[in-house]
Amino acid sequence: MFDPQIWFYTGCALVVIGSIATVTGPGVKDPIVRILNTEIPAVGLSLIFLTYNHTIALLTYIAATTIITLILLRAVVRLEEMGAEL
Amino acid sequence: MIVPTVVPEFTVSIFIPALYVGLITGFIGLLGISFQKNDLSALILTDIVGVAMLVIVAAVGTDLAEALILPGLVVELAEIMAISEILMSREMRKTGNNASIFPLPFAMDMEIFSTAPNFLALILIAYGVFLTGFTGGAVAGGGILFYVIARRSRGLPIKVWEGIAGISGVAWCIWLAGFLIFFIAPELWLLGLFMSSCGILIKVASKMGLIGIMAREDLKRE
Repeated sequence: MFDPQIWFYTGCALVVIGSIATVTGPGVKDPIVRILNTEIPAVGLSLIFLTYNHTIALLTYIAATTIITLILLRAVVRLEEMGAEL
Repeated sequence: MIVPTVVPEFTVSIFIPALYVGLITGFIGLLGISFQKNDLSALILTDIVGVAMLVIVAAVGTDLAEALILPGLVVELAEIMAISEILMSREMRKTGNNASIFPLPFAMDMEIFSTAPNFLALILIAYGVFLTGFTGGAVAGGGILFYVIARRSRGLPIKVWEGIAGISGVAWCIWLAGFLIFFIAPELWLLGLFMSSCGILIKVASKMGLIGIMAREDLKRE
């Protein structure tokens, strides 16, 4: 339908822009916002895997990124419960 | 550049841009970590560095990249898990406050936990055993996890706990022996295949069951 390079360069742009957004985006003082911003490079990386036909890697990455988000959210919630300043 | 002929032309043509994207992303991520004073933010930024690593590995293309990405993902997962545990235990020591191991935003007293566990766990375990291998272990382990979390009885004797850990270790050895058979006696490949697939099934399922027992001990405490 489209040139496969469209998906590749869209993925590249999402990875770079998403990583900048995670480092110095608006509102990244709040760790929840920062965790949500990490999803942007994750989507970009999924598009890059898609252009290379890495099916199993893509499926495992989707599962792994979900687990990583859960671990990070658990860390945030537990640290807040302990009363640490974030 | 020396490229084998099995690599498609398309993969070779986008290798350089992918490499630069990976390097730039890694640079941004590491720069962010170095300017960060907050430990939790640095932990979240390691995720970005992991993405950069995966972009560079994916740029290799073909099945080699796929074989390298899976261990990379596992390493990234283990790394983030370990660093977050260290961060939390250090903070716990510093502030002196305790926090629940698996914080939940709601009370776990839904009706599904009293009516469904037997049936759902049976189906998941049967399907997991049918699948075998790592995927089957994850499915069967999910069934055990659900059953163990949902059941009301609590307080597992320490002997059972150690027994499950021992079974997991024995299964790991079966997995290794199965792999060894592939190399020392290739004509017995079917035996090796079944030994390794059933070994990893038992290993993964029992480990997930242990996680479920830990979660239940914590949930039923209050």
